[in-house]
Amino acid sequence: MVNEFKISRRSFGAGLAALGIAPLVPRLARAATYPDKNITYVVAAGVGGGSDILARTVARVIEDKKLLPVTMIVENRPGGSGAIGYNYLNSHEGDASYLGGVGVSFFTTPLLGKMRYNYKSFTPLGALARSPYILVVNSGSDIKSLDDLKSASSLRVGSVGAVADEALLSHLLNKEMGTQIRVVPYDGGGEVIGAVLGGHLDLMWGNPNEMLEQVRAGKMRPLAVSAPERIKELPEVPTFPELGYDINHTQLRAIVMPAGVPAEAVAYWEGVLKSVAESDEWREAYLDRFNEIPLYLDSASLAKEMEATSSRYEAMMKELGLLK
Amino acid sequence: MLETWGLLLNGIAAASSPTILIAVAFGAVVGLFIGALPGLGPTAGVAILLPLVIGFDGTAAVAALGGVYYGSQYGGGVTAILLGIPGDSAATMTVIDGYALAKRGEAGAALGISIAASFIGGLVGLILLTTFATTIASAAIAFGPVEMTAVMVFALSLVSVLGGKDPIKGLLGLCLGLWLGTVGLDPIVGIPRFDLGSAHLFDGIEFSILAVGLFGLAEMYNTHLGEAEGENQIRFRMRDLLPQPRKIIRCWRELGTGSVIGFIVGVLPGAGATAATMITYAVAKRMAKDPERFGNGAYEGVAAPEAANNAASYGSMIPMFALGIPGSGTTAVLLGGLLMIGLQPGPMLFQTQPDFVWTIFGSFYIGNLALVAITILLTPLLASCAFVKPGYLFPAVIAIVAFGIYSINYSMFDVMLAMAFGVIGYVMMKLGYPPVPLILGLILGPILERGIRRTLVGTNGDPSVFFQSPIAVVLFLASAVMLFWPLIRKQIRNQRARPATN
Repeated sequence: MVNEFKISRRSFGAGLAALGIAPLVPRLARAATYPDKNITYVVAAGVGGGSDILARTVARVIEDKKLLPVTMIVENRPGGSGAIGYNYLNSHEGDASYLGGVGVSFFTTPLLGKMRYNYKSFTPLGALARSPYILVVNSGSDIKSLDDLKSASSLRVGSVGAVADEALLSHLLNKEMGTQIRVVPYDGGGEVIGAVLGGHLDLMWGNPNEMLEQVRAGKMRPLAVSAPERIKELPEVPTFPELGYDINHTQLRAIVMPAGVPAEAVAYWEGVLKSVAESDEWREAYLDRFNEIPLYLDSASLAKEMEATSSRYEAMMKELGLLK
Repeated sequence: MLETWGLLLNGIAAASSPTILIAVAFGAVVGLFIGALPGLGPTAGVAILLPLVIGFDGTAAVAALGGVYYGSQYGGGVTAILLGIPGDSAATMTVIDGYALAKRGEAGAALGISIAASFIGGLVGLILLTTFATTIASAAIAFGPVEMTAVMVFALSLVSVLGGKDPIKGLLGLCLGLWLGTVGLDPIVGIPRFDLGSAHLFDGIEFSILAVGLFGLAEMYNTHLGEAEGENQIRFRMRDLLPQPRKIIRCWRELGTGSVIGFIVGVLPGAGATAATMITYAVAKRMAKDPERFGNGAYEGVAAPEAANNAASYGSMIPMFALGIPGSGTTAVLLGGLLMIGLQPGPMLFQTQPDFVWTIFGSFYIGNLALVAITILLTPLLASCAFVKPGYLFPAVIAIVAFGIYSINYSMFDVMLAMAFGVIGYVMMKLGYPPVPLILGLILGPILERGIRRTLVGTNGDPSVFFQSPIAVVLFLASAVMLFWPLIRKQIRNQRARPATN
């Protein structure tokens, strides 16, 4: 509770405005009406990437629907494979005016050790969507279906980074299908697409948003989807679970706060995020726009999901020899 | 072909609407300053401006971001010439002769050549972008890890040309740079390397931190203000503040080769503008009748890399417009910008959004013309910096440089690192080690490492594929020729000399 009185420089203006409107209201009463300060959404990555677009869309929907009495500011803190941003968020322990998005590095960088935080150091608030992965090949490839993978030899699949969803999924694929597909890490999704188009990679995993344009242009052929349900835009593409393979991994679009924030703040944000997730604005500006799967998770379910996700990454990193 | 020009003319007309003109001018001027500010390069510039311009209508937003990109290519050369610090990585080669010219009092002429080269490089790049984008894009994807390895081997083989008087010292500097390039998370297996136990180094050492230390701070540490001021003052002449057309025309050959090579290398995935400038500089020096002038203030040494980095910035847009994939760090952010304004980048962009694409191309032509006008007007003012006494100039430069470095990641660690590199640069300067090979090692080393390791992961460790790609074999042979050129030339001269003496 003490932290609620702390006025940061950024919110000083908002604080003054509040004082101007209600100069006679006692301080305690004001503290009860959370949020009384501007909210900072920390993006642990640069401008223009997936997590940045998510943050800015959330902020816009909240503003359009007037879900917050204060302003939401998006702040990019890139660097250190997410470590800089999440360290920064973690340093605001107990301060409910900071929140941040959950990316892959949120789990994997602390697993490499030496961090002052891990996923347990944050308070889960909720999840707004999830994004499946589609396994695709170059449309000129001999591989027409998932079964062709078993007979093909020496296949290469791309991944964005060494420790990433694409690598995790490929290891699951090898385990489930008994294939020997080798993972070649690249630095960005675009590089991977280029390498598949140029025939330097045989397979890749991509979010629907990345892949649909390539599929529509006839450059790539989708094989299967890493979620229980098919994708609306690609109704003919089967899912791994329906083909009998236990490959079910999606990217969660989730939001967390630093540790030690008051329970009222968590309840407040569960409400806000639920309204966002169920709004038409969100459907239009995010779900339909980027072809993601609608979803709302509250704090408790997100906590469970985060635990499961982290242990999936941990298992993969142990197999890769990155962890003992 | 004719159809293309028709579309382009329509695009230029559409881009002449007041909103887009304002957006272009705004983006270009911001880019100019961001490019000139050591520390912040075009990628950071586009990222900073992206949230701001999202409020504009879609086409104007991308026109402004494009302006930041090519504007910063103009700006990077300014700092390189006036202060000897590359404003961004693509301006590293410009430092060598540009700063030497400024120290000699010819800042105006050097800036003039840099502006002309930027414009010509930009124009050549733009014309190639507008006419052959789709064709070139399909050629570019033929470059996989094997071919990229060969391109990097070729680029590194040219370091012997750039190493200065003592090739061994150049080579040692290069090795140090290659080692610094391995700091950070291993790109293939993901374990941290040489991270000193801190997450600050996980993403590796930022180019600008090293460049600011080695070039800028080292030079300042080396200047003993008291004694320097009297004797080192160069005579101030109004003429030296102005661009000199005759000197520009004399560099026509370097302007041409720089533009074309810059564009080609710029198209390649991940090779980037810096490799392009390096290759063109080496080619210009190799082709010169008197290569000794290079490094001591040759106009051609400014013309070649500045033409190359501007041409390369358009080259790197080809994969973005034609395939929907980023060709460089900056185009990756631009692509994010397209997504944010509601456009879906992809291989169909030319078909689905022709108005958008051609208007943007039109705005590039307008922006380049605007930048020439702006920079020519600014030249006398900028060039006079070269005549400011170090006692007044350096404190201001240190403040600007520290701000630039800090603003990359809001990190004091980075500022300390730049200061440490300043000390290393000072020691290197005293021992006669050139800083450029070290910088090139840092930039090109990681691309080489990725090329080699991606290839070997893909083949399960079999290196024979390196010699199965025709593109790679040609480049490996060219590298061998470059390395042994001094020996070959000697042999040819001897051959020629023999009949004469007989």
